[in-house]
Amino acid sequence: MGRITLDKVTKSFGEVQVIPPLDLTIDEGEFVVFVGPSGCGKSTLLRLIAGLEDITSGQIRIDRQDATHVPPAKRGLAMVFQSYALYPHMSVRKNIAFPLKMAKMDPAERDRRVDYAAKVLNLTDYMDRRPGQLSGGQRQRVAIGRAIVREPAAFLFDEPLSNLDAALRVNMRLEISELHNTLKTTMIYVTHDQVEAMTMADKIVVLHAGRIEQVGSPLELYHTPRNTFVAGFIGSPKMNLIEGPEAEKHDAHTIGIRPEHLDTSAESGLWEGRVGVSEHLGSDTFFHVHDTGLAEMLTVRASGEVALRHGDKIFLTPQMDKLHRFDAQGLRIA
Amino acid sequence: MATQHSRAAARFMISPSVLLLLGWMLIPLGMTIYFSLLRYNLLMPGEHPFVGWENYSYFLSDPAFKTALINTLLLVVGVLIITVVGGVLLGLLLDQAMWGQGIVRILVIAPFFVMPTVSALVWKNMFMNPVNGLFAYAAKFLGLQPYDFLSQAPLMSIIGIVSWQWLPFATLILLTAMQSLDQEQLEAAEMDGAGPFSRFFYITVPHLSRAVTVVILIQTIFLLSIFAEILVTTNGGPGNASTNLTYLVYAESLLRFDVGTGSAGGVVAIVLANIVAIFLMRMIGKNLDA
Repeated sequence: MGRITLDKVTKSFGEVQVIPPLDLTIDEGEFVVFVGPSGCGKSTLLRLIAGLEDITSGQIRIDRQDATHVPPAKRGLAMVFQSYALYPHMSVRKNIAFPLKMAKMDPAERDRRVDYAAKVLNLTDYMDRRPGQLSGGQRQRVAIGRAIVREPAAFLFDEPLSNLDAALRVNMRLEISELHNTLKTTMIYVTHDQVEAMTMADKIVVLHAGRIEQVGSPLELYHTPRNTFVAGFIGSPKMNLIEGPEAEKHDAHTIGIRPEHLDTSAESGLWEGRVGVSEHLGSDTFFHVHDTGLAEMLTVRASGEVALRHGDKIFLTPQMDKLHRFDAQGLRIA
Repeated sequence: MATQHSRAAARFMISPSVLLLLGWMLIPLGMTIYFSLLRYNLLMPGEHPFVGWENYSYFLSDPAFKTALINTLLLVVGVLIITVVGGVLLGLLLDQAMWGQGIVRILVIAPFFVMPTVSALVWKNMFMNPVNGLFAYAAKFLGLQPYDFLSQAPLMSIIGIVSWQWLPFATLILLTAMQSLDQEQLEAAEMDGAGPFSRFFYITVPHLSRAVTVVILIQTIFLLSIFAEILVTTNGGPGNASTNLTYLVYAESLLRFDVGTGSAGGVVAIVLANIVAIFLMRMIGKNLDA
């Protein structure tokens, strides 16, 4: 249950092709995250899998069955929407029970499943409230509950946490990861937040302009980004990308070095610059370094507190084994 | 506006408009009640003696009153059913993306801008006339006997005309309500396995309940006092088959020149309208709570 294959799937809106031919396999029980900047087609891709949009050409297979022209309800997938899309005139219980009612399930079995979902999601005390009387996090849980009761082959999440505040987002992130460990069902999760992608995913799919840039585990993407786009997108703060003579010294068009792989010193080092804004987080300090002659700005991550002030001179030395090299097309040089 | 001083000033400043509005309402109402207690007939000039409830008992015991009451309710309920059901269906149609959408929407809304007298005359002379009307022509074309709508089914014909006038209003309100429905809710229902009919009845209809309430309340206010359409088409007849309360009051005071009984009828109409309003608010008013 829950293996999804996309075979040369394309999607065009009129003349505009938003998804060029795309192949992807999602294995059973995987937590796959589609990540990319806004407008990269990740939500469209999710809606194609859900069946809410028709694909222009290609084939979608769910559990080896051709699902290309199967209506959404028959695909055995459940979706959690960005706006939660709860039914405002129904109580929490009725919201969660709605898909089972539509499936004409026996009421006793229906109640059993709804009660189970409520217990898993800590919603038991709110079953008779309306969505309007719930907080954002509770609404999110009701939306997940409505997805769980169907016991779907896979869950689809469309940026489910983007309407929550920062603290709640971290909590819900953990809860969804816990849920995945409990249910062991395939989950496809769309987000533009690379932190969510890194923390939750078994497998990340980085999308850019409808194209898959790279597929891999979070650490694979972190250690061996396939091109400059993935290198710049994954990791926080962003990787420093340097072009020009310095890159040519390493036989590359572009070299990349992550902020955490630059050693700082006040006296000596390979590169020299001037400290701009520094962000003190306690555990780490991020420096923005200017006037290095390499790039407009380099970001450096130093552990703990470092006594460097705005305008101070700073020396940087990259850890050579952590240097990434890219050619003129932006592809990684092994 | 928090201090006592500013509140007193505010009260003082709004008092002229409040007094004016109060006078505007209370003086006609008071005079109607006053006239309803007098024997006051323009055909019998002279004294207007106080007669107590005589006008009321005369009006209420008039056989035309019961007919008028039933006709009023039939007219209101009939038009409400036609406009709400028709409005929902038309709204669903107009909500679809189609070629020439803007023009079609304007055409649908157009009847609302036609004056009641004009539209009733157009219907009477150009559609329902048994000799020259379009319907008569159509019937003759099919080899059928033309139907004289306004004499055979006067109340139904008036319900039809009034529905035609109010359908745009209901359609407009219900269409905007439909457009405010979150598309993700419909998509979620689709994912949950709801077919088109289930989506309509479980998602769209509950979403429309508030708009339907507004349509029913506003239309009831205007439909209780339908007058021009009846005056222009049937004059309340044949007999009193299409007389409603408003028309009966008109007939008493301006055709029979009986101001006293007419006033009593007006007061009765006010009381009945309030009873209807109470029932309506009981039944559907809760939909308006957020």
